[in-house]
Amino acid sequence: MSTERERELLSSLLDGETSELETRQILRDLDDTGAALWQRWQLAGDVARKQPVAAVPADFNARLSAALKDEGQARNGWLGSIARTAVAASVAAATVTVGWQYWGAQQAGDTPGMVASAPAVEARSRPFGDAFLVGQGLTATPRSEGQRLEAGSQVNPLMLRHSEMAARHGGQGMVPYARLVSADARQQDK
Amino acid sequence: MLRRAALLLALLTLLPAWALADTAQSGSEPRSLLAAMAEANRSLDFQGRFVYMHGNELSTMKVRHAVINGHEYERLTHLDGQLAELIRRDDQVICIHPDRSITRLPARSGLAPMPFQERLDRALPEQYNVLLDGEGRVAGREAWQLRIAPLDTHRHGYRLWIDRDSKLLLKSEMVDAGGMVLERMEFVALDTTARLSADDFAAPEAAMEVAIEGVDLGAYPQGRLELDIEWLPAGFAVLDRDLRRADPEHVPVSALAYGDGLASFTLFVEPVSADDAVEEGLSRMGPTVAVSRRLEQGDSIWLVTLVGEIPQATAERVLAATRVQPDSAP
Repeated sequence: MSTERERELLSSLLDGETSELETRQILRDLDDTGAALWQRWQLAGDVARKQPVAAVPADFNARLSAALKDEGQARNGWLGSIARTAVAASVAAATVTVGWQYWGAQQAGDTPGMVASAPAVEARSRPFGDAFLVGQGLTATPRSEGQRLEAGSQVNPLMLRHSEMAARHGGQGMVPYARLVSADARQQDK
Repeated sequence: MLRRAALLLALLTLLPAWALADTAQSGSEPRSLLAAMAEANRSLDFQGRFVYMHGNELSTMKVRHAVINGHEYERLTHLDGQLAELIRRDDQVICIHPDRSITRLPARSGLAPMPFQERLDRALPEQYNVLLDGEGRVAGREAWQLRIAPLDTHRHGYRLWIDRDSKLLLKSEMVDAGGMVLERMEFVALDTTARLSADDFAAPEAAMEVAIEGVDLGAYPQGRLELDIEWLPAGFAVLDRDLRRADPEHVPVSALAYGDGLASFTLFVEPVSADDAVEEGLSRMGPTVAVSRRLEQGDSIWLVTLVGEIPQATAERVLAATRVQPDSAP
């Protein structure tokens, strides 16, 4: 897998633009090259998380135009314009959380670095800890030492309980559990 | 006479054919497909790998599901990055965190959850428009594609791909009002002939275990809490409630789950004292929003948190309309 090809695939995988064959290829190659590749990809995500203001991917516009160009060649007429809208929406979807982070940083006192450098204690009192914040900025003190420790490195207990209820009563099968496990795996990275 | 008999005969021969055609049709009828999907996801043995994406986060996971001796087992394993797992046996859920500590959500007694199929048949019709949106292929399997569009702004839309063969959910997307995909789950490999044993669902040894235990609803004032919600989006109803705490030193937090058959949100209520400076705020993670609000009523102060996969404006509106019933508080 060349670096360029890797990036293209990641980008299209994130946008949901991969064919089933490509997705399979990606996952097959993941087996081969192991954790290193994923770590690189995840690192990109971490960087984005910790530097909220600079988080819009450098190649976002290039990616969008490339996607539009490809799509334009493949289809035409009214179908093409619908497809273009869909592509733009899916590229935007890949960066929506970045938008939230950016906004969160602005809200937290117009100091871009504030979110990243906020003490862990402060982050804990928010509903989702250090998940994407669009908070209203009231300063908080932890309710107890134990609570801070207990919740430090794990997925939020509220998220856990909600996911359990959602899986039991919702109509999306195991998706709420997938959501939870994904959040749990990421929680430690932060 | 003869002609009439011939007509009757023709009708009689044709009828079973029509009936058959009708049965075949109803197999792909959107609503019965949803019910069949729910049943398949619960009753079939399968294992596979899928990707889960929201925003710019991507996870690959392995899933195993089996019914063994009448018990339903499920195990999700995060394959990339940190190792996190979830193991379920019927209503008992265990989370294995990346640091290998374990959180248990023991099964609760008393509350028998309403059968899913029944709920889906009853609750879904009004607020959603369910369409069979053609056919597709996911993980090398032929799939029916369903589009579930909300008829108001208080819930998200869904696109579901259901395996023609097994009726399992192969791919699922949650879509907001602007058509933006909020999250996506998609199988890349699925094996429905898997032979799984209870060993496949055995929990590993843990360095530390935490149980989010249920406590008797009557034992704490917040267990008897009744909420007055002056406004609730149409179609949502209370599905479940419980009172749990992470360990004996913690104040139990009561939870009320609401759902419309597809979307759900949970309201958490915990008592706080005047000294506690808790923060009101809003968090988002993929399709999930969490909003906290401090509620002062007389001498009591509560922190109410809504966690759910509903539009943010709806979440805030529900929270703004939430009051603790004065009689139920101590």
